Amino acid sequence: MSDLVGAKRYEKGRTLGEGTYGTVFEATDKVTGRIVAIKKIRLGKYKEGVNVTALREIKLLKELHDPHVIELIDVYPKKKNLNLVFEFMTSDLEGVIKDRSTVLSPADIKSYMQMALKAIAFCHRKWVLHRDLKPNNFLIATDGQMKLADFGLARIFGSPDRVFTHQVFARWYRAPELLFGSKQYGPGVDIWALACIFAELILRRPFLLGESDMDQLGKIFAAFGTPTEAVWPGMTSLPDYIEFVPCPPTTLRQLFPNVSEDCLDILQKMFTYDPRKRISAEAALSHRYFSTGPAPTKPDRLPRPPIRASGDNDAQDRSPVVLSPAHKSRRISFPNLDTNPQSDGGQPSTGVRRAATGGRPGGPGFDPMSISDEKGRPMLNSVDKSYLRKRKLMMDLALQESEDA
Amino acid sequence: MAADFWASYQSKQLLSVEEVSRVAEEDLELGLTLQDTRLIKIAMTTYMRDLAQQAKLRQRVVATAVCYMRRMYVSKSLCEYDPRLVAPACLYLASKAEESVAQAKLLVFYAKKLKPGPENGAYQLEVKDLLDMELRVLEALDFRLVVYHPYRAAVQYLNDAKLTDVMQTTWSLLNDVYRTDLPLLHPPHVVALGCIHLAAFLKDRDAKPWLEDLKADMHAVRAVQMELLDHYEQYANIDPALTAAAMAKLPIRTRAART
Repeated sequence: MSDLVGAKRYEKGRTLGEGTYGTVFEATDKVTGRIVAIKKIRLGKYKEGVNVTALREIKLLKELHDPHVIELIDVYPKKKNLNLVFEFMTSDLEGVIKDRSTVLSPADIKSYMQMALKAIAFCHRKWVLHRDLKPNNFLIATDGQMKLADFGLARIFGSPDRVFTHQVFARWYRAPELLFGSKQYGPGVDIWALACIFAELILRRPFLLGESDMDQLGKIFAAFGTPTEAVWPGMTSLPDYIEFVPCPPTTLRQLFPNVSEDCLDILQKMFTYDPRKRISAEAALSHRYFSTGPAPTKPDRLPRPPIRASGDNDAQDRSPVVLSPAHKSRRISFPNLDTNPQSDGGQPSTGVRRAATGGRPGGPGFDPMSISDEKGRPMLNSVDKSYLRKRKLMMDLALQESEDA
Repeated sequence: MAADFWASYQSKQLLSVEEVSRVAEEDLELGLTLQDTRLIKIAMTTYMRDLAQQAKLRQRVVATAVCYMRRMYVSKSLCEYDPRLVAPACLYLASKAEESVAQAKLLVFYAKKLKPGPENGAYQLEVKDLLDMELRVLEALDFRLVVYHPYRAAVQYLNDAKLTDVMQTTWSLLNDVYRTDLPLLHPPHVVALGCIHLAAFLKDRDAKPWLEDLKADMHAVRAVQMELLDHYEQYANIDPALTAAAMAKLPIRTRAART
């Protein structure tokens, strides 16, 4: 090893996009020759030092090492900026879901869900709640492996009685207990969000599109029926509980007409109202959904999602209609990794995928499933964030006495 | 914290007594002795506790901050990283890492309000100094911020051993653990057991049968006790003049002093 440390270790490349707290650019690691993504964090205009969100991410990713969690390769300061070096990922799950030229077979969906659950099971084993699961936080590597990223809202949840803020997750992925203002929640919140992502993979559009927190609850109840104290003991005593006009449940079968019985069963268990009865990530992984056919697609055989263009989310919508399966044409972008482009031929699910593609009108705008993409996904906005901070300070003060006593 | 200590970086980073008792070359050149460095670290530990009390930060933040500081000086010198800046910077960083963020300007405000002592009287802390040092501390720590503490384990052990009446004594001993390098030497549960054993001994309670059933590393538990007793013997009443003399050997490197 020489003096190739810090900024000198990386050969800076093109800009990949603007993150929530800084620019992300591509670079080459001169030591390993590996392509990496570097997230440059501006140090908050020099008033509060290192951004808390960034610090949380550094803190947790330095400890979490798993094939399904994004690897934080290095961190170095440069000119009052903090640079986080991550492994390079070509795409994300949102790209997969939104790309209309990609068809997802039941085996593909199973593969994505298995990877997602493995990531979360690992985090929960390490007592970390992610608290911001959504499709664009699951990144996809060149070899098809999906990895969990963005731990800016994540927390260690060791102490059972610790009070947390409920203002976490993008709204569509928020569990009902959070919407009712629960502050003593656990890993169940991540499972609910995963269930929403599961549904999104099946439907190819966001599943529960609430426009406000209240509306989000309404959407949840419209889908699964209004819960009662009997199915969810303790619900009525949650801080922000309000009574909804009872609404009968639609059966899951109506919502997901084309999935297998096992798939419905696991969805049902993940969408359980009572967080204590909701299935854990570990238990979900051993659910029979994953052991019965079709077997999950091998990650390197998953349909290739579109490669994220530099800060341009609409790129895939404007691309010309791809006649051959999307993953083949896109593989060309990585010629050195593309050792066996024909390997998909023998894959059992390909037939299904092709057939379904054939049935499409072809143009992106015609997909009847994608009605709401234009709306954009709700993110934690600045109001939420400042609320979060405020609440946290208050809670810490309140807790301090009890904890220090 | 009930997170996974054994898989953490901290567990792989436990140090030996020799490693924590080394004085950096540059510090030796300035005439600092091992005793001096210990006195300075103790003074800084007290300072962090006082500052945290003013700023209403939790004990946990102080504990983490002290660990940051002590871990830093295993590889860095006191003269290069001025403890008068490192201490508040560690506290500031720990407040963020432990999710009870203190505002930089408030911390600086309280630092200025503190009664001047040998450890903080030499200059005025400014926000910019604090933030500059925060980044340097982060780098010196190699960005590893998760620290495990013995408090929670101690409570569980005391309940299990039905020794809850020595809780208060154990707690005080645990707080004093941070005045030594013990948190860098032993895993938290061993530190907790050492303090419990000592507390039980001080209160004439017999923790031995319970401890022997635990299959813990009794050698290490005893080492914790001995170290703690040593500390009380040597540093129970520190002459402030000694600390001041040690501090005086350090050059002042604040912005104000530079300009």
